[in-house]
Formats: sequence, C-alpha cells, structure tokens
Amino acid sequence: MQEDLIHILLADDDEDDRLLFRDAFEEIRLKTKVDTVNDGVELMAYLNRKEIILPHILFLDLNMPRKNGMECLSEIRRLDHLKDIAVAIYSTSASADDIEDTFVKGANVYIKKPSDFAKLREILQHVVSINWQYHTSGLNRDNFILSL
Amino acid sequence: MRLYFKYDMSKAYKVILGEQFDKLGIPYTFIAFGEVEVAPGINNEQIIKLSEALNVYGIDLIESQKNILIQKIKDAIIELVYRDEKLSNSKVSSYLAKKLNHSYGYLSNLFSELTFSSIENYIIIQKIERAKQLITTEEITFSEIAWRLNYSSVAHFSAQFKNVTGLTPTAFQRIIKKRREISKAD
Amino acid sequence: MRQKFSYASSFLLKSIFVASLFVLIFISGVSYNHTVALTESSELVVHSYEVHLELDQLFSYVKDAEIGHHSFVISGDSVFLQPFDEARDKISKSFIKLIKLAADKKQQQANLDSLYELISLRLGQMANSFTHKAGTRMDQIQIDREMLWGRDVMNSIRTQINSMIALEAQYLNTQQQKYKYETLFTPLITLMLLIFSLTVFSFSYYRISNDLENLRETNKELMISTESIKHAEKIGEFSTWQWELETGKLVYSDNQYQLLGCQPQSFEPSLEKYLEFVHPDDRHIFTVGNDPEKINKDTSVAFYRIIRKDGQTRFFKSIGKLLKDSKGKRIMIGINCDVTDQHLSSIALEERNRELEQSNKELASFNHIASHDLQEPLRKVQTFISRILENDSDHFTESGKESFSKIQSAVGRMRMLIDDLLLFSRANKAEKIFQKSDLNQLLENAKAELAQRIEEKNAIINSTSLPELQVIPFQIQQLFINLIENSLKYSRPDVQIRIDISCEKTNLQNHPVFKSINNKQFYKITVSDNGLGFEQQYADSLFVLFYRLHPPNEYPGTGIGLAICKKIVENHSGFIEAKGQPGKGSSFMIYLPE
Repeated sequence: MQEDLIHILLADDDEDDRLLFRDAFEEIRLKTKVDTVNDGVELMAYLNRKEIILPHILFLDLNMPRKNGMECLSEIRRLDHLKDIAVAIYSTSASADDIEDTFVKGANVYIKKPSDFAKLREILQHVVSINWQYHTSGLNRDNFILSL
Repeated sequence: MRLYFKYDMSKAYKVILGEQFDKLGIPYTFIAFGEVEVAPGINNEQIIKLSEALNVYGIDLIESQKNILIQKIKDAIIELVYRDEKLSNSKVSSYLAKKLNHSYGYLSNLFSELTFSSIENYIIIQKIERAKQLITTEEITFSEIAWRLNYSSVAHFSAQFKNVTGLTPTAFQRIIKKRREISKAD
Repeated sequence: MRQKFSYASSFLLKSIFVASLFVLIFISGVSYNHTVALTESSELVVHSYEVHLELDQLFSYVKDAEIGHHSFVISGDSVFLQPFDEARDKISKSFIKLIKLAADKKQQQANLDSLYELISLRLGQMANSFTHKAGTRMDQIQIDREMLWGRDVMNSIRTQINSMIALEAQYLNTQQQKYKYETLFTPLITLMLLIFSLTVFSFSYYRISNDLENLRETNKELMISTESIKHAEKIGEFSTWQWELETGKLVYSDNQYQLLGCQPQSFEPSLEKYLEFVHPDDRHIFTVGNDPEKINKDTSVAFYRIIRKDGQTRFFKSIGKLLKDSKGKRIMIGINCDVTDQHLSSIALEERNRELEQSNKELASFNHIASHDLQEPLRKVQTFISRILENDSDHFTESGKESFSKIQSAVGRMRMLIDDLLLFSRANKAEKIFQKSDLNQLLENAKAELAQRIEEKNAIINSTSLPELQVIPFQIQQLFINLIENSLKYSRPDVQIRIDISCEKTNLQNHPVFKSINNKQFYKITVSDNGLGFEQQYADSLFVLFYRLHPPNEYPGTGIGLAICKKIVENHSGFIEAKGQPGKGSSFMIYLPE
C-alpha cells in the first residue's frame, strides 16, 4: 500500500480556481498530493497514461472547453481501469435536476464551488475524509453520493 | 448486466482470516470482530507473512494498542448499527463503555484525537450508510427505516440524511434506481 | 327520421293500393254473382210457372179429351171425336214443351214419363172405346165400366200432375231458399267491404295529404338549406362539386365559378377547363392525382394555387370523397376552399413563432449567462475577499475593514439575487414534466431541505394529509420550500414559530376572485403561520417580482420567492392568494386543480 498519501486530481479550465484549490489543500492537515489538468481532453490523456498512479479522487469541473465534465464522467465510468475512481463534480452552480443527473451518470460527490475560502477548505477536507472512509472502511461505494 | 450484493463483512472476514491462519499453521480463536487470539509462541516472521497474506484482501494487521481500541470502537458501532433488529434505545455511550471496558470520555477523546472526527459523527455516518443500504436493498418504507434506526420521526431521519449526504432520501433512492436502469440498459 | 318516415309511408300506400284493388275486384265479383243469382232466381220462377201452367194446360187438354170421350160414349155421336183429336194433338205438343222444361230435372222427367204413360193409357183406352163402339151404342154396363176406368185413370193423372206441380213448387222453394240465403249475405258483405274500402281510402287520403304536407315542408327546408349552403359557400369561400369518374362529368356549385372569378354557370365544367385556372407550377398535383383509373383512396386532399380570371392568385384546398352509387359507379364529391387568408395568417403565425422561439432561445442563453458566466466572477470576488479578510485583515484600518465587510455583503446580495432570478426563470422554463406525486412526500423533502433552518429557528410545523396529484414534483417542492422559508423568515422574534399546513377540497364556487371553469374541483392547500403578518392591502403585491414589504437590511431577501410561488402555481393551472393580519400571522392559500 502507498503510504498515507492521498492522490488528488483536479480538472478545471479556470486558472484562479486551480490556484484556490491547491491553496486550500495546502492548508488542510491531510497528507495529499494535488495534480491539476486544464480541460477534459488533457484529463483523459493523463488518466490513460500507464505510468501514473490513479488519483483516489478526481475533482471535475463541468464547464470546460473541448471536452466537458459530463463527457469525461461518462467516459471514466465506461473504462474498466478508471471506473473505481471517486469522482467529485466541482462546478459553479446547477439546478437540482442537473445535480441529480451527474449522480445518475456516476458521480460520487457534487460540490457547488463555495464563495468563501474557509468554506472551500472545509468542504474539500470533508470530501477527502469521507472518501477515505469509503476507501478504508469497507463501505459500499455504490452508495457514495454526497452533495455539498 | 450487473449483480447486486448484500454481504456480511464479518462472515467474509472470518472465512478469509481462517484460511490464512490455517495456511500458516497458526492456531487461533475469534474473540470479536477484528480481534483474534493466537498462541503466545508466534514469531515475527509468521506475523509478517500473515500481514502480507491478509493485505491482499485489504485486511491490515493493527499493532498499536490505541489503533486497536479505535478499531474496536468502530466495530462496536457497526455491530450496533447493522444488527437486524431495531436499534436499541439505550445510550450508545454506556453501550461502548460497557463493551470496551473504558470510560466513554476516554474513548471519545481517543477517537477524536486519532480520527479527526467524533464518535457521534461516526455513528451518524454509519447509521446513514445503513439507511442507504436499507433503501437500496430492501423494500421498506422510510418510516420503517426511521423506526429501525431509532429516529424519532421520518422528518428527523430525512433531515439527518439530507444533512449528511446533501440529498433527501427520496432523491437518493431515485438516483440509485436510475443508475440501475441505465446499467440494465447497457 | 323524416326520410325513414316517408319511405314507410310510400310502402304503406302501395300496400293499401294493392289491398284496395283486391277488395274492389272481390266486391265486383260478389255483385256480379249476386246479379246472376237474381236473374237465375226470376228465371226459375218463370220456369216454374211455365211448368205449372203447362201441366195445368195439359190437364185441361186431357180433360177436353175426356169430355169429348164422355160425350161420345154417351151420345155415340162421332162429332164429339173432333175435340178429342184436337186435345190429343195439344197434349202431344204440351208434352214436348214439358219435356223441354224438365230437361235438367231427373225426377221431374221420371214423373213426366209416368204421366205420359198414364195419359197414353187413358188416351189408348179412349181410342179403344172409339174403335169398339164405332157406330154402335154401348150398353149401360159398358158405359159404366168405361166411366169407372176413365175416372180411375183421370184420378191418377190428376194426382200425378198435382205431385209434379208440388215437386216443381218444391224445386222453386229450395232454389229460392238458396238464393235468399245467398242474397241475404251478399249485401252485408258488400256493405262491410265498402266500409272497409272507404276507411282504407280515407286513411290513404290522410296519409297522402300528410305526406304531401311533409313533402312541402321538406321542400321548403331543402330550399332554405340550399339557400343557406349557397350563402355559406359565399361567406366561407368554398364551393362544392361532383365528379363522375367514369364519364368525367363534372358539376359545380355556383360559388365555384365565383371563386374562380367568373359568373355562375358561365362555362361547361371540366377538369381541363379547371386546370387552366390552376397555377402552372401546381398543375402536376392534378395530373398525378386525378387519373380516374388510379383514384382509390376514400378521401383525398390537395393544396394548390389558383389564378383567378382577374389575375389574382389564391390558395385553394380541395377535399374529395369517393362514393359509389347504387349501380356501382364511382362518384367523387368534394369541396374547394379558398384558404388564402388562413394560409397567409398561418405564414405570419409561423413567422411569429419562429421569432418567439428565437427570443426564447436568447432568453435561455441569457439564463445560462446569468447562472454561470455572471456567477463565476462574482464567486471569485467573494472568495478572494474572504481570503483577504482571513489572512490580511489584521493590517487593515477600521474603515478599511468596514468597507470590506460592506463589499462582502453587497456581493453576497448580488449573488443571492442572481440565484433567485435563476430559480424564477427555471420556474418559467418550458420543461414541464407532470408526474403523479405524493404531496406529503414533497412536503417532507421540502422540510428536509430546510431542516437546519427549521431547527435553528425551533419552528413547529404541523401538516394534515395531502393528496396525490399530477404535478411537476420539483416545482411543488420548491413551492413548499419558499412558503416555509417565508414563514421562517418573517417570524416574530419572541414567539415560537408555528406553521400549519392543511388541505381541503373546494370547487371555488363562492370565491370572490378565482372562478373555476365548469365547476372543477380544487385542492386548497393552506400554509399559515403566526409570524409578522401584513396589511391585507399588500396581499396581491406580495407576488410581484422584486416587491418587498421590508428593507433588505432588516430581513434579507430578494422579493423573488413569492413570485416564484405564483409562477409555479400558475404552471399547474392553479391560483394562489395571501391573507395577513399585522402582528398575528399570514396564510397562503394554494388552489391546485384535481
């Protein structure tokens, strides 16, 4: 087993958001390793590389150029070697219906990007620790659905 | 096609552990969930071998006494939540103190210190997980689930479910149903 | 109905006619029979009297002979032989007559034969006595013997004649009895038949005159309806036509000519002639579709353009229906409509629809901009402000801190407005999927959604059982959320919040404002609280977008929540109203159709 380092990947086309995301994890007292990609195409290319360690949890923006988050999600859930990755949608806002749709398509977490940095930290920590619970406590991952 | 399972962790764990102990020729007795009594003569090499063999199944050998205690608390809570009958009304704190033979204050502090989360929180999470399992595997109503898990009302149950998962039980049920329909269609 | 009636009537009349004919023939037969019988009867009487007379005559001749004989016998004078000879002659003639008269009666013939024998016998005797006595007188004994014989035979003859007369009288009597019997009933039957015929005839007359009356009525109606059809054709800009497929014969109504810009019946209708009016680009419709051999569809519809005589282009619609007459001939009947106005207005409508669609699309994309593109920078502003406040607020001056917190609250308010506007526009969105939903469950969901707020405010929410209705579930959930949120927000600070949700059925019959069409049943769901309430005069304004009764710094809000409620209720073809009492509480009544 790979020590206690939690691998995290973020796919977001917005530079500011990637920055805030990284900063938030730096302030969280969990041993994490954060990688980022700039859009859906980059994300899929990254995930399909042989040498990488697959992330424990992937944060996925919905609105991205070239390939949007929903397309990536569907692709990830179809591919055998990726389908076990926990996927957290990380988006500005959506209607309750849209949120439900991402869950139906296989997302585990839906995060509405908060407008407060402290809140962001809190949410990210919560998601990672819950994911860890599912990872380690033998909980049924199919039931891992969380909307924040 | 997709198959859905409902499984008994402790049974699976016992079978796997039993097999590994037998393979290495170590006599054993199950004390509780996650706790096995072995003969005093067991050597380090055997322990390493056992640890490696169990690792394949995602079972870790815990050494630290504190970690063992944390695991015992978790197990006790899971056992409590996953009992098939209605969750007992008696206070969880006294149940844990009695079962683990430590004061509840000590257990609570230890738990918070090592898991960054409180026992109460852990119980809630486990209860909601149990609720999810009941929602997805059994044909029972929310009021029955609320009653089984010792919530004062459906409203209380729904509120806590929503608080933990961000979704109402109805929405959760709907999502799982739709997911299954999709995978059936594939 | 009338059609059926006249068919029945004509059948009835035919039957009556046939029956009457038979009755008349029967009556004539009976009358003829009767007359014949009367003639026969009188003939019979004459015959009978003739027989009677002749027999009497015969007897008198016999008596003449007898008297001659007697005189001769007594006197021996041959002078008396002369009457005897004359009588003999007459007797023979009389016999011939009688034989003729008794030709058809056997018994009388037999009687006649025996009479003849008797008379012959007597005459023989007489002749005998003559020969015997020629020149010599008979002695008294001989005379007595002759006389005695003669008297005996004469008696037999008389008896015979009498019995024959009696027989003839008997014949006459029976025959007359028979005729009497016959002639007694015939007049009765005739009378009865006559009465019957009269009845039948009067009934027929009644029926016929009735039918005629009906026919007149029908004719009048027909005339009126023909006139109104003509009128309708003119106003409705349509015409009717009939087309016999086999012969190609075409009949137009007057308005067909007028639709083409011509005088009625100004030309002989034919397909070729009609095609001259059809726009050249549309003629193929007729050449392809109108081959009489190939028409087999029951109804056919065609749209095409017509160039009228005056050069105007009009849009026509033709609908034909194929019929078969009783001889199996195919006839197509149909109407032509001038649909130019409709056509032009539908084109205009389509154009407007397209524009509307376009503007809807623009609105949708505006929604997207509002939801995403506007929120994105706003959120970043907020996030970075929060970071600055968290990390660097120690270096700020007091006024700087204050300015920052003001910026923060202003941005927060803007964000809230955008969120609510988005909700409002979603309530407007076309995507309305109605599902049968348990409103109790939707209310539970709403309460779960607000669980934290409810707990914070320590509110008590009571609800009675709600129905299961065909609704847009997430919208009704939103409706409950907004109303409960409203009650939580505008509560009195020192009073425990109580929200009561109840439901009853009503037909809105006595409602002063909302009138239900065709007495439809509604569910009236009331959400009432014990909060701040409001002056009733503001009740309607509450549902206006952005309308607020309280300044935002006292009660944060956007003035969109209740506007959304109204929108949602309207989406469900329902109504919403508010009642308030300042300082006591407010109630919101939602009426949802069953």
